[in-house]
Amino acid sequence: MLTFTLRRLSLFIFTMLVLTLLSFSLSFLFPGDTVINHSGQINASTTELAHLNQVYQMDKNIFHQYLAYLSHILNGDFGQSMASQSPISNEIRKLLPATIELSLVALLIAMLVGIPLGFIAAIKHNKTSDNVILSLAMLGYSIPVFWLGLLAILVFSIGLGWLPSAGQISLLFEIEFVTGIQFFDILLSDSPYKWQAFRDASAHMILPACVVALAPATIFIRLSRASMIEVLAASYIRAARAKGLSFQQIIFRHAIRNALIQIIRHVGLQFANLVTIAMVTEVIFSWPGIGRWLIDSIYQRDYTAIQSGLLVLSCFIFIVHILTDFIYAALNPLARGNKHGS
Amino acid sequence: MAREKIYLEEVFPSPFMQLWGIFRKTPVAMIGFCCFIFLIFLAIFAPVLAPYTPVDGNLDMILLPPAWHADGNVSYLLGTDELGRDMLSRLMYGTSLTFGLSFIVVIFSLVIGVVIGSLSALTRGIKSSFLNHFLDVVLSIPSLLLAIIIVAILGPGISNTVWAIAIVFIPQFIHITRYAVKEEFRKDYVLASRLDGASNFRILYYSVFPNIVERLMSQATLAQSAAILDIATLGFLGLGAQIPLPEWGAILANGLERFYIAPWTVYLPGLAILFAVVATNLVGEGIRHALKLRKEN
Repeated sequence: MLTFTLRRLSLFIFTMLVLTLLSFSLSFLFPGDTVINHSGQINASTTELAHLNQVYQMDKNIFHQYLAYLSHILNGDFGQSMASQSPISNEIRKLLPATIELSLVALLIAMLVGIPLGFIAAIKHNKTSDNVILSLAMLGYSIPVFWLGLLAILVFSIGLGWLPSAGQISLLFEIEFVTGIQFFDILLSDSPYKWQAFRDASAHMILPACVVALAPATIFIRLSRASMIEVLAASYIRAARAKGLSFQQIIFRHAIRNALIQIIRHVGLQFANLVTIAMVTEVIFSWPGIGRWLIDSIYQRDYTAIQSGLLVLSCFIFIVHILTDFIYAALNPLARGNKHGS
Repeated sequence: MAREKIYLEEVFPSPFMQLWGIFRKTPVAMIGFCCFIFLIFLAIFAPVLAPYTPVDGNLDMILLPPAWHADGNVSYLLGTDELGRDMLSRLMYGTSLTFGLSFIVVIFSLVIGVVIGSLSALTRGIKSSFLNHFLDVVLSIPSLLLAIIIVAILGPGISNTVWAIAIVFIPQFIHITRYAVKEEFRKDYVLASRLDGASNFRILYYSVFPNIVERLMSQATLAQSAAILDIATLGFLGLGAQIPLPEWGAILANGLERFYIAPWTVYLPGLAILFAVVATNLVGEGIRHALKLRKEN
């Protein structure tokens, strides 16, 4: 496990280097002056500009410039947003938790729906229910997410009026910002309308989370179906059957556990996909998350915000990736011996 | 097959023909394939087939519902949008933008990815390890996010979108080619032709490629369904095709304001995207199914 940890750690450091290098080079690729792209101070006076040039070591060679940039990032200084002239780290601190909340709830829904359906399909392999589940999975995988979001709003918000169509919580509730994750903040607050607020926040969450969850859920269906079919064909299942165990015992005690391990491995990769879908969904449902902020910054040509947003979002994705790798290795001793990189 | 056999010689169809033989017998895959061919045909001949131009509006016929509706007009089969532009013509022209461009993008990235991937499969040691780590990093960033960043650098527009998506899809083709070539190089038939004195390049071209082409095709269909969705999503976000281009995602975003009074301007382009992606996925699914069956035989 120690070698595994060290290997993952080296991969993590390498990835962070590549990502910061990418975001560093974006400042050169974007139009405009490099140091202004780094810092986001578009209205800097001559003295301020001279100071910035010195801080970012613009007079030295590119390696020193990169080190200066890296030390800024490590100190949590992403510069200022060109559009609002407020520090980007504050904005990210406010917006990222909303995205984390939405994507984690969506991941949970996707797994809770997708994995059991996939298992059912695998158990009924090559029968009608298998085919129905597979066709539904393919349809769900093919639906463009923005269209699905709009249809969901049309049906559930406008047509039936069951659920709210935009935002994270009704403006009537004043919730103090503590962790940024809305549900925790509501539970921590001492407002007398705590439970109404909680119910309202859940109602706001349902539609966007389900829209985000659909495509990953279909992928979980396919993954769990494939891994379950593989497990059911293994000889220890035949041995268990020969031993005289009932069907339920075989499935719940042996097959599901072994099939689940294979799925956990893929959660990290699916999470990256899910975050992209969440970005588009945030735009449609006016969710105050980092995805909507990033797309808004593209409209506003806010280059400092774009590069920091990219860096933070991909770091977040990669950290989840590494975490699922660790969980997988902790559950499955066979995976720890994995050689070289991935 | 009632065929006179003159020579007592068994005919072995090539691997590709075997695959086609299995593919042809799966009805669902064939339906998908026909839809796919139909879309390609439409993408090429849309300017000839479309009844109206996609940009000129007829201001007497604004927001006409589709023809099956009570207020519909049969000369505008799928209705018109807020400027009186015919939806059917716009969707037909949109085929060549959304579907046709995604097809070209995938071919482009496939060629570049296969060249880089097969060259890198022949390298070993630190170069190979570096490339592997680098690919891992790039592949862990979602394609749409990367495309959005590249569009942010290049600026919005359909040609920039196409470049962005082409660049984004190259790494996954490098990855799969590299993996497949490495796997084939371990097999005995490659050793056999190496003993015959064939160079690496000759082995790649004559021995390895015919054996991995189906796997590349299956990956290409996956990439194309993602490319259609990415082009449409960027168009929807206003970062891709600009007004008045009839790109499906952009048409959908355009109809958004009149979503409630003219829902057909939103659900028709959405259905078109869904149709194209389902057709592509059915073809891919058919290829993968046929590959599996061929392996079992």
